[in-house]
Amino acid sequence: MTLTPKKIDSCRWLIPRDGDMRVPGMVFANEIMMRSIEKDQSLEQVRNVATLPGIVGHSLAMPDIHWGYGFPIGGVAAFDPDEGIVSPGGVGYDINCGCRLMTTRLKADDIQPHIRDMVYALFKGIPAGVGSTGMLRLSKSKQRDVAVRGAAWAVKQGYGTARDLEKTEDRGVLPGADPSVLSERAVRRGLNQLGTLGSGNHFLEIQRVDKIYDREKAIRFNLFEDQITIFIHTGSRGFGHQICDDFLKEMNRKIAAGGQPFSLPDRQLACASLKSGLAKRYLAAMACAANYAWANRQILMHWTREILLKILATTPDALGMSLLYDVCHNIAKTESHTVNGKPVTLCVHRKGATRALPPGHPLLPDVYRSTGQPVLIPGDMGTFSYVLAGAEAAMEQSFGSCCHGAGRALSRSQAIKKAKSRSIHREMEDSGVFVQSRGKKTLKEEMPEAYKDISQVVEVVHQAGLARKVARLKPLGVIKG
Amino acid sequence: MGLKEKTFEVLDHTADLGILVNGADLKSLFQNAAHAMLQIMMDFQPEQTGIIRNISVEASDLPDLMVHWLGEILYFFEGEGQWVIETKIHDITSVHLDAQIETIPFSSIMQEHLTEIKAVTYHQIEVLHDNAGAWKARIIFDL
Repeated sequence: MTLTPKKIDSCRWLIPRDGDMRVPGMVFANEIMMRSIEKDQSLEQVRNVATLPGIVGHSLAMPDIHWGYGFPIGGVAAFDPDEGIVSPGGVGYDINCGCRLMTTRLKADDIQPHIRDMVYALFKGIPAGVGSTGMLRLSKSKQRDVAVRGAAWAVKQGYGTARDLEKTEDRGVLPGADPSVLSERAVRRGLNQLGTLGSGNHFLEIQRVDKIYDREKAIRFNLFEDQITIFIHTGSRGFGHQICDDFLKEMNRKIAAGGQPFSLPDRQLACASLKSGLAKRYLAAMACAANYAWANRQILMHWTREILLKILATTPDALGMSLLYDVCHNIAKTESHTVNGKPVTLCVHRKGATRALPPGHPLLPDVYRSTGQPVLIPGDMGTFSYVLAGAEAAMEQSFGSCCHGAGRALSRSQAIKKAKSRSIHREMEDSGVFVQSRGKKTLKEEMPEAYKDISQVVEVVHQAGLARKVARLKPLGVIKG
Repeated sequence: MGLKEKTFEVLDHTADLGILVNGADLKSLFQNAAHAMLQIMMDFQPEQTGIIRNISVEASDLPDLMVHWLGEILYFFEGEGQWVIETKIHDITSVHLDAQIETIPFSSIMQEHLTEIKAVTYHQIEVLHDNAGAWKARIIFDL
């Protein structure tokens, strides 16, 4: 089926309701981006999500939309609690994959000569790579504690402080986590991967604040020009992958047995009615993985602080590392929204999309009540990442959501082909970014040309009023799995 | 791994990666799919003899069986730290298979040669045979 999105304005496109779509689709993108989006199957995926029972408003896509599996990456969809569904594929395998940004008191000019040593030390000290296991070995009972208590478990073990929880989405814990619903395989995969970065697009970056767009909000976020920041991007590792896999298989089995009163355009969209026991079990398991991911990022932040204190031979006060915010971008959450002027409770799926609460929202901690929620948007390893602040239009148009990254422009095999006979490591170094990676192919797959222009993605959400630009961060050193 | 000829091609997928696999019959299709996935994950072949294990997989239809079968091999790596070096399907129906796999312990030396596959997805999954009786499958992985 050919889809022709209709341009509404400079950053919004409508996919009119057609066929078995229950709601229209809405894509946030500019003209140039839309020409590229139309080349893959992501708009078809926006359409497919619009056919799911109980979907409310629009099937949404953020400007970093690209072809995923089931849902598009950059997809947002909200479902009515009585008529709607939850879809494990609409959350993704890496449950609560997300970002964490830390500020420091360091200035780039002061530490420029030490960047290599910092990267080497972090590369040695932070477990990363395919199938990487951590320095922690959890017992099953400790793993249950992690799954129920999330980042607070890590803080109680001495990884960071209680102040960090204030600056973590949902205080680093989703309610309703129930480890008794987990498979033996999920438990087993979670035992030794806590405190690991993983591979692929996950990373830890040393950055310099390159540009401030909004001075007032930057001050509230403790950001200043030439400041050193640290960015972590990772999730729930094999624990989350297994939970998604287990429930997708169970939901597909139920569908094959005729246990669902609707048909699906794609088996990866397998789902269960939100009122069913199966949906409740999935959400209880998903919360376990979300909490594991928050604990994971909390632990990695602590180890990063310890490594930097040692390699820079400095004091905690001089380093001044503190958490700016932690956001997740693969999740399904029960949230309060207003639809057609009425307050409603909805199950919001964000598959490669970030929550973006506006100023004054009751879920914001006091420190960010006047600014809106910090929104962290990582770019590719060669260009920029951005810090934005959630804005009012996000609540009106996207269930409080905005983009989550640059979005891939090239497939991994296209990237490897393009990078053939080139040293991406050298090219990165020549452009002022020192990189260490565990996998031989990772740097080629993740080279800057493989991604869309992050500046355009961020400009669209800024123009659409979903979130406002606060600061731009330039990578200086990167570790990847 | 005993793979004599190219029995699969890589499908370009923006975020992830897919394969189109061929097989003269259903058994070889499933074996070739496993070999294809393992080749994508690891770009060198360890010269070792491993432990032989027998496994059974149940599913609701052929595409579901493919997802479960490849997922089983992934789990040996992710959950048990065992790298599968050889597979042989003994018996297969549309909802069940019995296979023998040979595994070796995964070592850190192998890590740099690996590409992570997080999962075998159901997205656009197909297992079909043509009029001449040859089998084809399309499988998309989450990387």
